Amino acid sequence: MKVIGPEEIRIDSTLAEEVARRSGENVFLCYQCRKCASGCPSRTFMDSTPTELMRYVQLGMIDEAMKGNTAWFCVSCQTCSTRCPQDIDIAHVIDTLRIIVQEKKIKAETNNIRLFNRIWMIAMKYIGRMYEAGLVGSLNLFTGKPFKDMALGVKMIRKGKIKMIPPIRNPFPTMKMFSRAKGLKK
Amino acid sequence: MKIGYYPGCSLHSTGIEYDLSTRKVCDVLGVELAEVSKWVCCGSSPAHQCDELMSIALPAKNMVLAQKDGLKEVCAPCASCYSRLKVAQERLKDPEVKKDVEHVLAAEVPEDMEILHILDVITEKVGLDAVADKVVQNLGGVKVACYYGCLMTRPPKVTGKRDFENPTDMESVMAALGAEPLDWNLKTFCCGASFALTKTDVVLELTKKILTDAEAVEADVIAVGCPLCHANLDGRQPQINEKFSTDFNIPIMYFTELMGLAFGVKPKELGLFKHLTEVDDFLKERALI
Ligand code: SF4
Ligand code: SF4
Repeated sequence: MKVIGPEEIRIDSTLAEEVARRSGENVFLCYQCRKCASGCPSRTFMDSTPTELMRYVQLGMIDEAMKGNTAWFCVSCQTCSTRCPQDIDIAHVIDTLRIIVQEKKIKAETNNIRLFNRIWMIAMKYIGRMYEAGLVGSLNLFTGKPFKDMALGVKMIRKGKIKMIPPIRNPFPTMKMFSRAKGLKK
Repeated sequence: MKIGYYPGCSLHSTGIEYDLSTRKVCDVLGVELAEVSKWVCCGSSPAHQCDELMSIALPAKNMVLAQKDGLKEVCAPCASCYSRLKVAQERLKDPEVKKDVEHVLAAEVPEDMEILHILDVITEKVGLDAVADKVVQNLGGVKVACYYGCLMTRPPKVTGKRDFENPTDMESVMAALGAEPLDWNLKTFCCGASFALTKTDVVLELTKKILTDAEAVEADVIAVGCPLCHANLDGRQPQINEKFSTDFNIPIMYFTELMGLAFGVKPKELGLFKHLTEVDDFLKERALI
């Protein structure tokens, strides 16, 4: 076993600071009680637990925090944020990690969520409302699974639940919002 | 009573029967729903996962539109829309966030807009006595598992709910209709809705757990208050049966549909035949249609 001396231990708080700046959440308040991990419905799909994820952010372990699948399997159910004794909004921290990965175009195990989000936001910008047929269609096309959920989709169309024509009502307000937001980020 | 109505995208498509039944029920209860004119999508899960600013600006846009219509209260039947509107309000308390959002909107965001879920309108604004008064067809002890999912109650800092781990509002409404609400474990467990189209495996696993628990307490029907939960629980049963060799065939109904039935609204007007897991046989068996 290799013994590590204090001079070799480096804690980089850049990531924690960035999370705090963007979300207002202080990850250093986490004392690893594991309440978030024990209630997480998505835990079995994740590489690490939400508790471990909090530690990675505290220690600045960027690869573990950002590149693994943990953040990308969070279903945003808010159970952790509800139960944390330190009142940390863990789901918000996770959203923030995901946003950083997407903005900085970091390679990560996002599966097709990054793509899904992009398609959605494009629809938001130009249509202002969600349009299921187009969303599912383009997602399946880009992921190379054109027949995914086909039976379900056909049933929904038959029941008059999915409209094939996009609901364009008043596209300009959202386009303007997106361009002003872009101006702000620069 | 007049109240703003924000249907959201799902209620115009996959959750059409929720929209139909909500409107009918409010009609019976004397609640006038004024749809927010030219409303835009709240951004839902994708927005908060990829763009913090827009995830607040999109719901805020709807508050601005509601104010233009002269509305002071807005209700949303979709738990996700409701949550995004509430979260936006919470985050807008930060002056810097507010400044940025108002720049994006080129408008001031109203501070005193009251955001409600449709269940809150029924329990808090209308009241259970008024609901019981309108019952013409008692639900005859139908066993209902009331399912809230995540966002109707969580996180309490945002929703202001007290019984967030074990909410009972929907149960009270069901009891007022003559149904028998059941005690069960997974009423606030997540169905995985935000991954409905991207990580279907997760959805199937989580939804299976919910159905299993409802079956264990011998529920006749699961009542829901969210179009995303409904789409999963109602639409994914065949896929779950195939994957886990189960044979679920549990009717999943919006609590507003059950209210409509008890109020004597015609099944077709409630959209009862639009379900993917058919409810007709169950309702006929119980002589409810
Ligand atoms: S519940 Fe809060 S304090 Fe406990 S491990 Fe999770 S983040 Fe840390
Ligand atoms: S919000 Fe995400 S991390 Fe938290 S309990 Fe739910 S799935 Fe797990």
